[in-house]
Amino acid sequence: MATQTQETQDVQAHGDGHGHHERLQHHFISLDQQFSSAKLGMWLFLVTELLLFSGMFVAYAVYMQWYPEAFAVASEALDWKMGFANTIVLLASSLTVALSIHFIQKGNTKAMITSLSATLGLAVVFLIVKYFEYTDKFSHGIYPGEAFNPTGSYAYLDVPNAVQYFSIYYVMTGIHAVHVIVGMLVFAWLIYRALRHHFSPEWYTPVELGGLYWHFVDLVWIFLFPLLYLL
Amino acid sequence: MAHGHHIIPKKTLFSVFAALIGLTLLTVITALTIDFGVLEIPVALAIASTKALLVVIFFMALKYDNRVNALAITVGLVFVSVFIIFTMLDTVFRGDLDNVSNITISQQEREDEQLRAREPDADQLRVAPADFVGVDDDEASAAVDEAATADEAPAQ
Repeated sequence: MATQTQETQDVQAHGDGHGHHERLQHHFISLDQQFSSAKLGMWLFLVTELLLFSGMFVAYAVYMQWYPEAFAVASEALDWKMGFANTIVLLASSLTVALSIHFIQKGNTKAMITSLSATLGLAVVFLIVKYFEYTDKFSHGIYPGEAFNPTGSYAYLDVPNAVQYFSIYYVMTGIHAVHVIVGMLVFAWLIYRALRHHFSPEWYTPVELGGLYWHFVDLVWIFLFPLLYLL
Repeated sequence: MAHGHHIIPKKTLFSVFAALIGLTLLTVITALTIDFGVLEIPVALAIASTKALLVVIFFMALKYDNRVNALAITVGLVFVSVFIIFTMLDTVFRGDLDNVSNITISQQEREDEQLRAREPDADQLRVAPADFVGVDDDEASAAVDEAATADEAPAQ
């Protein structure tokens, strides 16, 4: 190739007659450009995710401002220790994702697989804690959506408009939990590919993008924890 | 490393993690033990924002990244703040919706003007003995007219 750059010169041919890295797609000049483009695309996706969650945060802000007493009493009913435990779990999983990228950049596939598996394990722990939280609410008769009554309260929590708080709680933590499940599927796929040695220091774009997604899921929780459990 | 990606040292990653745990403990302790009153929400949000910044800068590596990614997320955040601020400007200052007139402001102004036009002038408001004579409204106003003329008459 006449336009070969310094970066692409030392990579192997992939067998169809021209010498460049097997992961480099033909519409990109270099692996570097391909990587930056993929990352920009991921950041734009995260902006749409940000706008999705911001709608729910605005709903939270409006209803908290309309019914401050209901929100104060209802958030006391949540167990902050569970939220705290899950915060630590998600922060630790963010660390393991960042470490997995560190390891693949250094060519250590084995350590990367360990880190990604740790992340997947922490995501499972997060959902287990969530399961105990939700079943505790169910045992007090607090269900999502059922017979929604905007000014209603519960036998367990006799404050007008308490239903408003818990509908927002279920929607926000529920959509966040869906993101955690999607993240688990992403990590399972990444581990599967890593076991087949698909990633290298030259090309690890899926790990990087999966990592960005997971950090975003962590970011949402960083705001959900104080707003739902502590205030 | 074939193409200049910044490798974030393990030491940096672990210290950022330690800082995040520390800030989580701080937010729990401040929320449970110290009463900030109206500042409770701003304090919690300030700590959460600091944590978010640490994650974005170091874990998501924006510090070492192409600036265009930082631009993308900043523009997103600008629109999120427009969303939140303008919604709150509506809902916080909406007041009591039941205590609102059901006609428009210009309609109210027109009605005010009509009321002002209907008001009798000062001369007609003077009390005269004739005012107490009239039985119905027409007679009373006729009496007022007479009284007004009677008052003006000596001056001429």
